[in-house]
Amino acid sequence: MVTKLEQPKGGFNFDNYQRNVALEKKGITFPKMTKTGTTIVGLIYKDGICLGADTRATAGPIVADKNCEKIHYLAPNMYCCGAGTAADTEFTTALISSQLELHRLTTGREARVATALIMLKQMLFRYQGHIGAALVLGGYDVTGPNLYTIHPHGSTDKLPYVTMGSGSLAAMAVFESKWRKDLERQEAIDLVREAIESGIFNDLGSGSNVDVTVIEKGKIDVYRNYAKPNERGVKEQSYKFKRGTTAILKESIRDIVAITEGIEEMDIS
Amino acid sequence: MSLRITPSTQPDSTNKSIAETVNSFGVHDTFRYGPKSIATDILPKHPLEHRLKHWEETQTNLKFTLERRIYGIHAPVRQLMERSIVSRVQRAPILPSSNLSLEVLMGKDETIDFEDFLNVPELSTDMMDMHASMEHKLGIKL
Repeated sequence: MVTKLEQPKGGFNFDNYQRNVALEKKGITFPKMTKTGTTIVGLIYKDGICLGADTRATAGPIVADKNCEKIHYLAPNMYCCGAGTAADTEFTTALISSQLELHRLTTGREARVATALIMLKQMLFRYQGHIGAALVLGGYDVTGPNLYTIHPHGSTDKLPYVTMGSGSLAAMAVFESKWRKDLERQEAIDLVREAIESGIFNDLGSGSNVDVTVIEKGKIDVYRNYAKPNERGVKEQSYKFKRGTTAILKESIRDIVAITEGIEEMDIS
Repeated sequence: MSLRITPSTQPDSTNKSIAETVNSFGVHDTFRYGPKSIATDILPKHPLEHRLKHWEETQTNLKFTLERRIYGIHAPVRQLMERSIVSRVQRAPILPSSNLSLEVLMGKDETIDFEDFLNVPELSTDMMDMHASMEHKLGIKL
């Protein structure tokens, strides 16, 4: 092992990069980037923000989790939907959540959504898209309801209704045709549900259930599994083996008692 | 004195030598520092590595350059002096120093970042030699 002269710095480690490049030149094929898929949406309605997400987590062609959570907590007045690399969205939102809490403790007032937006985009820009987090950020602060999308490279949009992920086209089609200004609360939830369901049914990367989070002034409602359009059917028959299916040929039961002789010396070390 | 916002993707020039790791015979000390090849040292690194390593430095440089233009040379000089004073208070190079006063001056005392919880130095298994690192720090290599 090599002697180091200073404490190493924390954060990302690139020690194996050159080794991997050399190996690749020798003809070793490395695992390809895994295709990700999600539908996440958000819209502004009369007195708040409504966020929605599907619950399928994919690892290439495999469904890794049928009921995962994609709407992450950020601050008491903010939530954030994440699409892209699951671990990256999870850690990005957790990191910014901690930063917002520190910010709230320092300033002694509720953090603005724009503050979270700037923290997120500056952080993602620094890593040049190597952190694969595509986010929909929604919250309610002193300036009213705010809704943003953040792309993995750090660019952002501020729009009244937004979609992200591989099912974003299907969901946006619903929003484009049905969204209007000053929707009522229930209308907004229904529209978000419809948009997510169109992602679930038309996009292979999205599936399972619909999660909805409604953010209003001083009040947040988290509806986990708001709609379950893909309930598993009941099996017509039971395939369990009945007790006694396997014949018992013989049976012997013994008592096992361990007997040790002599005195063991006490361990006084 | 530049107004760069972000570091360049690759270093402008690479200068590699074995001067840091020579032994008393004037050749690279393989026993202490492991095998070394200048050829692999000058190959391109990961595009993020240089960027992250010099991020802080570039941002600070930009800040000081702007301050110099607005307030005059005294503003960055004063801040650099303060930083230089507080950064001297630290433990031996292989022991962790929190350097809180320096973090306060850099505005990093109330933030949390990836280097604070991913791959933290306290948990590293790197082999470190107290004597060698002190010799290196004080420039009295034997």
